[in-house]
Amino acid sequence: MVLTLDETAWLKIRGMNKHFGGVSALKGVDLDIHSGEVHGLVGANGAGKSTLIRCLAGVIIADGGEVQIGGETKTIDSPRDSADLGFAFIHQELNLIPQFNSLQNILLGAPKVKRAGFVDWKASRRMAAAAAQRIGVDFNLERPVRELSVAERWLVMIAKALAHEATLIAMDEPTASLSVKESERLFKIINDLAEDGVAILYVSHRLEEVLDLSSRITVFRDGMVVETAPRERWDKKSLVNCIVGYEIQTESRPVYRLRSDDQFPVFEAKNVSRASAVSDVSLKVFSGEILGLGGVVGSGRSEFVRLAFGADQIDSGSFEVQGRPYRAKSVQDAIKSGIGLVPEERRSEGLLLDKSVMFNMNITVLRSLRSVAALPFMSEKLKKERANTIIEKLSIKTNSLSTPVGSLSGGNQQKVLIGHWLTPGIKVLFLDEPTKGVDVGAREEIYREIRDLAATGVGIVLVSSESEELVKLCDRVIVLRQGSIAGELIGDGISEGRIIEMGFGIVDADQRSES
Amino acid sequence: MTSNVVDTTSHLRAEEARLARRHRIVTRLLLFVARYGTLILLAGMIVFFGVKAPSFFLTVSNFENVLNSASLVAIVAAGLTLTLVVGEFDLSVGYSTSFSGVVVVCFMSYYNIPLVFSLILVMICGTGVGVVNGLLVTKVRINAVIATLGVGTILGGLEYIFAPTPIVNGIPASFTKISLGRAFLTVPNPVWVMCFVLIILWIVLNKTDLGLRMQAVGGNIEAARLAGIRVDRVKLFAFAAAGACAALTGFLLSSLLGSGTIGAGDGYLLQAFAAVFLGSATLRNGEFHIFGTLVGVLIICLGFNGLSIINAPTAAQPIFEGISLVLAVGLSTVAQRYANTIPVGSQSKK
Repeated sequence: MVLTLDETAWLKIRGMNKHFGGVSALKGVDLDIHSGEVHGLVGANGAGKSTLIRCLAGVIIADGGEVQIGGETKTIDSPRDSADLGFAFIHQELNLIPQFNSLQNILLGAPKVKRAGFVDWKASRRMAAAAAQRIGVDFNLERPVRELSVAERWLVMIAKALAHEATLIAMDEPTASLSVKESERLFKIINDLAEDGVAILYVSHRLEEVLDLSSRITVFRDGMVVETAPRERWDKKSLVNCIVGYEIQTESRPVYRLRSDDQFPVFEAKNVSRASAVSDVSLKVFSGEILGLGGVVGSGRSEFVRLAFGADQIDSGSFEVQGRPYRAKSVQDAIKSGIGLVPEERRSEGLLLDKSVMFNMNITVLRSLRSVAALPFMSEKLKKERANTIIEKLSIKTNSLSTPVGSLSGGNQQKVLIGHWLTPGIKVLFLDEPTKGVDVGAREEIYREIRDLAATGVGIVLVSSESEELVKLCDRVIVLRQGSIAGELIGDGISEGRIIEMGFGIVDADQRSES
Repeated sequence: MTSNVVDTTSHLRAEEARLARRHRIVTRLLLFVARYGTLILLAGMIVFFGVKAPSFFLTVSNFENVLNSASLVAIVAAGLTLTLVVGEFDLSVGYSTSFSGVVVVCFMSYYNIPLVFSLILVMICGTGVGVVNGLLVTKVRINAVIATLGVGTILGGLEYIFAPTPIVNGIPASFTKISLGRAFLTVPNPVWVMCFVLIILWIVLNKTDLGLRMQAVGGNIEAARLAGIRVDRVKLFAFAAAGACAALTGFLLSSLLGSGTIGAGDGYLLQAFAAVFLGSATLRNGEFHIFGTLVGVLIICLGFNGLSIINAPTAAQPIFEGISLVLAVGLSTVAQRYANTIPVGSQSKK
């Protein structure tokens, strides 16, 4: 780990720390940013790039460390502080007010031209228009932003940053929803801005772009800066190696369980597409196997499992369970066919936080817990029996059945969600980031439960941003990239390096790992 | 020098701990007030009015009177509770009550439809109004406040078509006897009807899978959807039930008044809302439930009754109603907020 810190840099970040609960998201990050440079930030999901950006933006407040500009220490306790320092941030969800036009959006919160204490709107608008012109905006600035394309909205955001006299603009995955042509235009603007002395922090999973644009690149891993080096010192392979880290432990993993006589998949997706999120994905899941879905954030993994579960609507394609197609338009049909989903956002999409453990556990199977099938009355006995069985099976730690589920630990909450689907009819279970925010101990228990479920013949689809987890658990891994399948790894062929290479779209991934 | 610094920090730390402790105590106290405040208020009101006017307030006939008027509010409020449980609103219940009251009298005096059939018809009408509300909210996706306010206002207008002036003629005596009679145990009939409706709705909400679905939808609509619950249908049912309850109240109200009078039940809207919100702060942390609603109704009706007994000025009633509504919503919000700030571990362990 060679870090050359430049004390003459314009913006210096020193020893920045941030904890979320017991998890360290940033561990003493040092970073120099020069005026007029495009600085690429790369790293795997959860490596700390976004946390650093959010600390700079004042959206979250760092636990320790300092930010110096021109040798002077600054505090960033709120988004206002950050804006006052001349920092601007452009995230994927653009912060624009849809019904305002571009000029109004650009001027929102920007310093305005004043005359005798009153805002001179005419001059202010001229200033906004000038900012837009500077980046070559060619559309009508009087149009409401909701009518603009995503690329045009990006331009509005950049103009807004300029109107705020930004000296640092951080961009998070700017090209995620742009076409090739639109991206190129953006790159040109970025280069122009840098030439004018604006510092650009460019966060992206698309390594080619980062290599094309940046003058220096910093790699993050596990909340730390691994290396900062000038562009010339990097190529794609060295970046990936650095992102993954050299010490990849290969733990003993179960033997690939797919048997040759398994010709009939328990679940099959055929040419599934939805808008720009998922395009033409076909895959099979066999009974008793654990299929991993890898890829970077935004590669369409969560989107795909939500489609398969009927939570979102597909544009085209079809799904089958044991060879029988089901309507992928309703969650009810998916459940009836034997599909379950443990969603990614467990607190907002999965749990009724104020309700009891028992209530939560039983909501997917209410009808089967009636005293008499034909009458709508619930059997207290069956409710308790089922809840107790699952608590025991998943060793959920709770004071009682009536404890509100929101007061359980993350791991136990996750187990309650998995418990939803411990029903006799379950055939395929989709798990979206099941160990997100779960402590190490509970993690192992969840892994064990996933293996046990697979052993009973359930087909498991595991979405995870942690390649380590995929390597450890999966019989097969399919890696998605920009909405379509980038490749498939089977059995011993699964490794963290290859999952990440495929996720980042390294062309010669296959040859590399074979040699 | 250094020990001095240490002293200061330890002092600061002690101060911090003291503040934290005080904060915890205040939080607990607020939570207690929020959860039991309504029951204390109810008891306090009985004591207050009892002391002020013992010979009038504390009599069997007066309590019967209170219960009688409470029963109508309670039926409307119970229906309203269901819509709030699923996380929606129904502002049409008051108008719907008035409308049903007018329409049922129309059926009997204009069209000579027998009493029982009139009741059935008006229940169907009321349920239909609820279904319309529900469809507007779930399928057209209009905000419930707007949709139900619109539907309610339309109903208010329709009343004029049916009964430009109060209908008093041609009402069968058997109809007026319903609200005034005591079919069983010398308890007024409306009170029996109220008990019946409350028990049914309590069972629906707590003992049936439909009720648990309703609670799930209100608790976290996305989680409910991903658990395979047909969210729209559940909401539709809640609106339909609220409409049916309003219709039943309208029926009883007209029977009590002996006429079909425009706007007779409009005032039930605010009373029912105040009651439901008072109820949500009763024993639970801002969760709507039938028993709480009953407590809320009793507070409101006892308040009205007591105020008129102690000869409070006319202005006192609407002021009391307004205060109780704001107080109710405030208590319910506070209960919810503080329930979330108390670390749950400390509730059970310490």
